[in-house]
Amino acid sequence: MNFYSIRHLTRFRYTRPVSESIMEVRMHPRTDAAQHCLSFSLAVSPRCRVFSYRDQYGNDVQHFDIPGEHAQLVILAESLIEQHPAEPLPSALPSSAWDDLAELIEGGDYGEMLLPSQFTHPSGALKQLAAELRISRRDDPLTLARELNHALYQYFEYVPRSTRVDSPIDEAILSRKGVCQDFAHTMIALLRLQGIPARYVSGYLYRGSGDHDRSTPDATHAWVEAQLPGLDWVGFDPTNDLLAGARHIRTAIGRDYSDVPPTHGIFRGNAESELYVAVQVEASSSAPVLDRRQHVPDDWTVLVERAREAPPRPTPLASAQIVQQQQ
Amino acid sequence: MNSPPTNDFAIRTTEIPDRILGDYPVGKVYDEMRAPDGTLRPHYQALATTLAALPQEELQRRKQSADFSFLTQGITFTVYGRDEGTERIFPYDLLPRLITAAEWRTIERGLTQRILALNHFLRDVYSDARILADKVVPRQLVYSCRHYRRQMCGLEVPRSVYIAVVGSDLLRLPSGEFVVLEDNLRVPSGVSYMLTNRRVMKRTFPRLFQSYGVQPIEHYPQLLLATLRSLAPEGRPEPNIVLLTPGVFNSAYFEHTYLARQMGIDLVEGRDLVTHDNIVYMRTTGGLKRVDVIYRRVDDDFSDPLAFRSDSSLGCAGLFNAYRAGNVTVTNAFGTGLADDKGMYAYVPRMIRYYLGEDPILNNVETYLLTEDVQRKHVLANLDKLVVKAVGESGGYGMLIGPHSSAAQREEFARAIEANPRNYIAQPTLDFSCAPCLFDGRLEPRHVDLRPYILFGDKVQIVPGGLTRVALEKGSLVVNSSQGGGSKDTWVLE
Repeated sequence: MNFYSIRHLTRFRYTRPVSESIMEVRMHPRTDAAQHCLSFSLAVSPRCRVFSYRDQYGNDVQHFDIPGEHAQLVILAESLIEQHPAEPLPSALPSSAWDDLAELIEGGDYGEMLLPSQFTHPSGALKQLAAELRISRRDDPLTLARELNHALYQYFEYVPRSTRVDSPIDEAILSRKGVCQDFAHTMIALLRLQGIPARYVSGYLYRGSGDHDRSTPDATHAWVEAQLPGLDWVGFDPTNDLLAGARHIRTAIGRDYSDVPPTHGIFRGNAESELYVAVQVEASSSAPVLDRRQHVPDDWTVLVERAREAPPRPTPLASAQIVQQQQ
Repeated sequence: MNSPPTNDFAIRTTEIPDRILGDYPVGKVYDEMRAPDGTLRPHYQALATTLAALPQEELQRRKQSADFSFLTQGITFTVYGRDEGTERIFPYDLLPRLITAAEWRTIERGLTQRILALNHFLRDVYSDARILADKVVPRQLVYSCRHYRRQMCGLEVPRSVYIAVVGSDLLRLPSGEFVVLEDNLRVPSGVSYMLTNRRVMKRTFPRLFQSYGVQPIEHYPQLLLATLRSLAPEGRPEPNIVLLTPGVFNSAYFEHTYLARQMGIDLVEGRDLVTHDNIVYMRTTGGLKRVDVIYRRVDDDFSDPLAFRSDSSLGCAGLFNAYRAGNVTVTNAFGTGLADDKGMYAYVPRMIRYYLGEDPILNNVETYLLTEDVQRKHVLANLDKLVVKAVGESGGYGMLIGPHSSAAQREEFARAIEANPRNYIAQPTLDFSCAPCLFDGRLEPRHVDLRPYILFGDKVQIVPGGLTRVALEKGSLVVNSSQGGGSKDTWVLE
C-alpha cells in the first residue's frame, strides 16, 4: 500500500493586467479500482468561488472565474492518494485474444476510444512508423502493446520543449523526438489503427531515489491505457518504458490531450502570459495526517515547465487560450 | 367575384383565360393546382376564378403594392459585388400555396410523432444510450458525427426538451403523399418570411383570403415566447428571455431582430453576455441583469469558447458551465445536430418504431448510406441519376444533383465519396410537386417544398402552414434561398 501527497502549483503571470479570466482545471486525482483520492483541495489567488462538475469521462473538473483586473493567477492543488498495487499482468494472452477483443468491442461501448481524435489522426507518417515498427495484429494484443511501448521508447528521444502543446504527432514522429504527450498520442494512434481501444491518461509519476525515469521529474505526466480482453484498461508509459503501476497517479482520462489539459482557460486583455508549473509528489507507506498543511516555499525553484503564449490576436480585446504541455 | 371553394365539382381549365394559363403543362409530377386530367383541384378553384376575373393591369398593380410592402418592412437581403442597389427584396411569388385541412391534419400528426421520436433519441443518446446498446442505431454513426457533443452526456435538460424550435422540410411525391426530406434541429430559420408573406398577402388579396377561411399563423411569436418561458429554470417565475444572435453579418440577422421585436425580448450578441459564478448576465446601461433563457441562433461551435471552439468570439465564455449547472436554459440544446445529420436521417423511421411503437405517419425519402459497401457501389454506378449530399451541410451546399451534373462534377464527388463515405448520403432524384407561380401575368408551375415550424415546450405545437419555398428558376429543383430560391405564402384551409 502506498500513499502519495501531491502538491501542484500553477502560476500565470501576465505582461499587463487582464480584465477577467475564466478557467477549468483537471487536477483532481481519480478514484477508481487501484487508486483512491482521500482528500483534495484547490486554492486560487485572486480569491474566487470554485465550482466543480464531473465530465463525460468521469473526471472531476474544477472551474472558476475572476471578474476583476489581475496581473497574475496562482492555482494550488493539493491531494492525498492511496494506491493499491495492481495485479501482475500475465506474460502473454492466448492468440484467441484478438477474437475476444472483437467480441468485447461488439458488446461494449469503446467507440470513442477507437476513432481518430484531434491529436491521433492516422497520418502518412504514422502509417509509415507502424510499418517500421512492425505493428500489425500479430501475436496477441497484450504482447503487441508491450512491444509497441518498448519500441516507442527506443524510437523517440526525450527532449523537453522540442514540440509545442498543440504540435501534431507528425512533428515528433519525423524528428524522432518529443515529450510524453507526443509519445502517448503516437501510441494511442497506433493502437487504434490496430482496433485496440486506447485512451490518454493525464497524471503524475512519483520518482523514488532508486528510479531512473526519462521524463522530467516534478511535472505532470501523461501515458496510455489500452483495453485488453480479460485485463480491462492496462496502462503503458512509452516515455519511460514502463507499465503504468503503483507510481503512476491518474488525474484524468480522455481521447487525447485536448480532453484533459490540467488547465484550460481564457482571459480578456491584450497581454502575454507566462506559465510556471511545479509539482511535488511525496510518498509514505502509512497514511499521513489528513490535515497536514505544507508550507508553500517562497522560492519555488523547480520551475520545470515554461511555455510562451501564442501571439495575441490583432483585436484590442484579445482572448487567448491558456494551455500547458504535458511532459 | 370570389366564390367560396366547393368540393363537389371542378371547373374545366378552359374556363381560365389562356392569357393567364398559357401552356401550363401537367407533367408527371404532382401539381398542387391541377389534377393529372387537367382539371382544377377543387380547393384551387376560388383562386383561379379570382385570377381570371382580375384585369392584367390590376394584377400588376397588386404585385407592385406587394413589392412595396416587402421593401418598407425591411424584408431585404444583400447582393454582394455590385455598385448600385445592393439591397433587394427577398424573392417571393404572389400566389398562395393552398393545403386542405385534411392534408394538414396528416402533416401535423406526422410531424408531432417525428419530433417526439427525435427528442427521445437525443435524450437517450446523451444518457443511457439504449438505442445504441440495442443496435438499432450504429454507435459509429453517433461518434463520428461532427455535431455530436460529448459534453452533453449525462446532463439534465429542462423538461427533457432538446429541440424546442424545429423546421422540417417536406416534399410531395407524384402520388400526392408528403414525405420528410430533412429535419432542421439546430437553428432553423425562415419563420419571419412565413409571417411577413402572410401579412403582405392579406393585404394583396383581402377578399380572397377572407372567403377561403385560412387558419391563422400570426400568433407564432407568442407561441414561441410561451415555449421559451415554459423551459425556464425552476424558481424563476419571471424569466428574463433573450435572443442570442451571431450579429449583423449573419444572413438571418433580419429574422433575429424581427422575432426579438415581436416577442418583446432583448436581442443580444455574445459580447453582451458575461458569466460569473455559473450565472449568465447581460450588460445593460443599468448594470448587469441576470439571464434565464437564451433562444440561441448561434451554432454550438460558436456559443462558448471555453466549452467548444476556443477561437470563436461570437459566444459567451462559461455559458456551457452555467447551462450544465441548470442556471440558464439554452435552446435548442447543444448537440441536437446529431439528430439532423443526414446519415442519422435514414434511421428516423426506426427511431419512431423504437421509442413510440408506431409506424411513421410521414415517410422518409429513400436514402443510401455510403458506408455500406453494397449501397456505395450502387450509388457510384448511378451517380447520374441520384442526388448526393454531404451529411453535415445545409442550405443546399455540398450537393450533387446527378441528372443536372457534368461528368467532371460526378468524378469529383466519386473521389470525395471514396475518400470519406461517412460524409455523404445519396437519394433518388425526386419528382416533387409543383405549384402555380405568377410570371408576367401568366401561371407557370415551379417546384415547391414546405417547411412547417414546430414548437416543443409543454407539448408539440405547429402553426398551420409554414414556409413554402419555390425553385423560381424554371425546371430547377433547388429551393434554398441561398441558391436562388424564393418563397410564397401557405394557406391551410379550414
